[in-house]
Amino acid sequence: MSGSAGARFLDPAALARIDSLELLARSVVEGFVNGLHRSPYLGHSIDFAEHRAYMAGDDVRRVDWRLFARTDRYYVKEFEADSNANFMVLLDVSRSMRFASRGLSKLDYGRYLAACLTHFAKGQRDRVGLVTFDSDIVDFVPASAKHEDVVLHTLDRIGERGSGELRRPLAKAAEACRRRGIFVVISDFYEEPASVLAAVRQLAHRGSDVIAFHLLDPAEVHFPYDGSASYEDLESGERMPVMPEYVREQYRRLVAEHVATLERRLGESRIDYTLIETSTPLDEALFRYLMRRRRFDRVR
Amino acid sequence: MGFLAPAFLLGLLALAVPVALHLVRRERRQTVPFPSLMFLRRVPLRSVRRQKIRHWLLLAVRCAALALLALAFARPVFDAGPVSASAPGVGATARVVLVDRSYSMGYGDRWERALAAARDAVEGFGSEDPASVVMFAEDAEASGALSRDRALLVSSLDSARLSFERTRFAPALKLAARMLEDSPLPRRELTIVSDFQRRGADGLDDVQLPRGTEVTWVDLSEAEAGNLGVTDLTLRRVYEQGRERVAVSARVVSQGTREGAPRDVPVTLELDGRDAQTVSVALAGNGSASASFEPVSLPQGTLRGAVRVAGDALPQDDVYRFVLSPSQELGVLVLERAEARPGQSLYLRRALAIGDRPRFRVSVERGAAPSAEQLARFRVVVLNDAPWPAGAAGRALGEFLRVGGGVVAALGPRAGLEGAELQGVTQGEVVDRSADWGGTLAHLDYDHPSLALFRSPRSGDFSQARFLRYRKLELASGSPLARFDDGSPALVEAALGSGRALIWASSLDTLWNDLPLQPVFLPFLHRLLTHAAGYEEQPVARRVRDVVALRPEQASWVGEAPSGARLEPGSGLIELRESGFYELRAPGGGPTETLAVNVDPAESDLTPVDPEELAGSLSRPAGETGVPSGLSSEEREDRQRLWWFVLAAALAALAADTGLSNRLSGEVR
Repeated sequence: MSGSAGARFLDPAALARIDSLELLARSVVEGFVNGLHRSPYLGHSIDFAEHRAYMAGDDVRRVDWRLFARTDRYYVKEFEADSNANFMVLLDVSRSMRFASRGLSKLDYGRYLAACLTHFAKGQRDRVGLVTFDSDIVDFVPASAKHEDVVLHTLDRIGERGSGELRRPLAKAAEACRRRGIFVVISDFYEEPASVLAAVRQLAHRGSDVIAFHLLDPAEVHFPYDGSASYEDLESGERMPVMPEYVREQYRRLVAEHVATLERRLGESRIDYTLIETSTPLDEALFRYLMRRRRFDRVR
Repeated sequence: MGFLAPAFLLGLLALAVPVALHLVRRERRQTVPFPSLMFLRRVPLRSVRRQKIRHWLLLAVRCAALALLALAFARPVFDAGPVSASAPGVGATARVVLVDRSYSMGYGDRWERALAAARDAVEGFGSEDPASVVMFAEDAEASGALSRDRALLVSSLDSARLSFERTRFAPALKLAARMLEDSPLPRRELTIVSDFQRRGADGLDDVQLPRGTEVTWVDLSEAEAGNLGVTDLTLRRVYEQGRERVAVSARVVSQGTREGAPRDVPVTLELDGRDAQTVSVALAGNGSASASFEPVSLPQGTLRGAVRVAGDALPQDDVYRFVLSPSQELGVLVLERAEARPGQSLYLRRALAIGDRPRFRVSVERGAAPSAEQLARFRVVVLNDAPWPAGAAGRALGEFLRVGGGVVAALGPRAGLEGAELQGVTQGEVVDRSADWGGTLAHLDYDHPSLALFRSPRSGDFSQARFLRYRKLELASGSPLARFDDGSPALVEAALGSGRALIWASSLDTLWNDLPLQPVFLPFLHRLLTHAAGYEEQPVARRVRDVVALRPEQASWVGEAPSGARLEPGSGLIELRESGFYELRAPGGGPTETLAVNVDPAESDLTPVDPEELAGSLSRPAGETGVPSGLSSEEREDRQRLWWFVLAAALAALAADTGLSNRLSGEVR
């Protein structure tokens, strides 16, 4: 089951391009894809680093007994430890994410994106986990090196959900994931920028990195509608008569201001922000993100 | 230009419909799901909600079609042209004077002032003005058609008398409107001389004067016209030591005065023209009180009575007249079989022992064969589970019935109608309904006088009574007064001569049914017997304009009105037009009958209506017109032919709308 679920999300065409991008990413991005940010600490990893002479106080379990048999000396094995970071994807599954002006809804796009990122992270031996939320946490998959299939399966069975809210579920997620890691928040962020910032900053505790993917449908950005109609809020059910030709420009301006404010204020809090329209090919979106991540890393 | 049916112009309001559809319906035609209205809400409301009408041409065509339809149905007509200078009576005005002669005009000097005002009005008419005087109260009576004969008008005013009736403006105004409508003159004037009582202004909705009629009035009402009146009477019969006495109570009302501290008002009971008792009641302004008198003994014959309050400015309603006579006694002979069950007539006797309107004098006979002389002492014979008497007694009972007596036959197990002269009714076998817990009465003919009392809801519940057994009755013709739930007749009326026979298909005790245990039994039995006896209670008082139908034996009687006028009711009907005592007597000094007649107390309320308000309700709305009078039918048709063209234009606009809509719909698709 999990295998088929994973196959569904990992679009081969996307992954083919992402794989080539990964080689580049490995060299420029540290921290996002596990393995690209080497730890200054040596630890328990499968990448052997060197032997050194046993010193008083070393853990006797780390003594290489085979080498002792050959050399009759005590040597301790040291490994080049990877970051072993927790990679948590927090996916907004509220009703507003169901919106699709064309074939692919924001929620589907977010699932694909989450699956791809999870796959990358797993490839870098990070512990992967998933949180889906609307106004509360819906599914919680704890971060684990063995949870890729669980994550993909959970993504596959996301059902009908309610209205969305960021602050409470993200606070719970931050509370549940005490270990430092990477949090990827995928949402349409239909809240005031201050509220979004307050919610997302909860994840940035203990030095964790937070990456915010702002998913919007092209219709939400450009408002291409024509003809008077009642517009129904997918989350509240409220209806409102609108003549698009009269509101289009003001709407676009308001959305642009919202995006700009989010980018500025999240950036000020060292939270990566990326606006992705669902019309953008998935691999291109990842590519843009990784490029952005690289620029950010150079600056840092 | 005017309209024959201007009410249809309200159809122009329908113009709002296409406009609303163009604005509103487009907006709600579809619903677009959208992730969040967060940003749309921030757009200024004016921009969001403002709607734009597209398809202006389509909207215009639709509005034009509706407007033309409304105009066509309103029947536009051209006004009559000015009366040609050569026409007779140019510059004259058709005039009608309405003079109120209801009894409230007897308040103070209103009547004199009314006549003086009417005379002044008549004298002020131009010599060329055709005019008429209409005297009205409940009805209206004109002095004649519109005429220029002033002497006729003055004569009608000189001969006018106050009536005893109440005010009703509607008949008089309708008559005046018709007279003015018939006048070819363009100028019309109506003058109303009245005290303008509000209670008389009912029913004016369908009264409208011809267009252009000028309404003037002479208001004779006073600002505060206080009035006392006796409006109702209650008689309570009491029996003390076998003597019948009557306690009289009267309702006294004070109207038209400011509310204030009660004042003592003496109220007098008069019997045969003499003051019998006087009591004092405390009566506040705009209040009422009850004056109760001590019971009085009743002499043989009829006693004329009246309750009178101290006289005021309106004397007609200060007295309430009535007639008193000893209560009638209805003789009832109950026949049982010789071997009747004990207590077979118990419920019957107990039910008839109650009540005094009328009182029943019950005599129960077992196995008796009454003679004609015995029967003559009774009004009704009840065959209580007894067969129709055989032989001479049966013939005597048939004769008793034929000359106007009543028979009620209750068909128990031993009853039998064999030998009865009742045609069309056949007694059948016994129906036993004990297996299904008894039958019920399923249908009653509430139109029948004996059952009409039970027509209203909660006026007697027959459905609770269970009938375990009853007789099957077969009717040759007609329909029964009541049926059981299986459809078989329960109560049947048969006539023989001038008498009435009622046949009840079950027993009148609890042997076959439990009807005697139901509350409805007593009134039901009373109604059966009074109907069979042809008993009718005579009212103690009547009102002006009541119509009294004389009984057949009174066909040759003559009467005398309170004013002394002689009445010869050849039609058998007397219309009571005066207040007081009417005297009816057989010719040659035979029996007499007295009728007490009172005025309608509604007229006692002198509260006036604003004459301007009344006049305003009579005028046609601006722009409304009637068909001009004095025109030939061809001319009338010519003047209203316009509506055909308007209707054709409306149809053309509708056709254009259809074509345009189809074309625009195609564009949308």
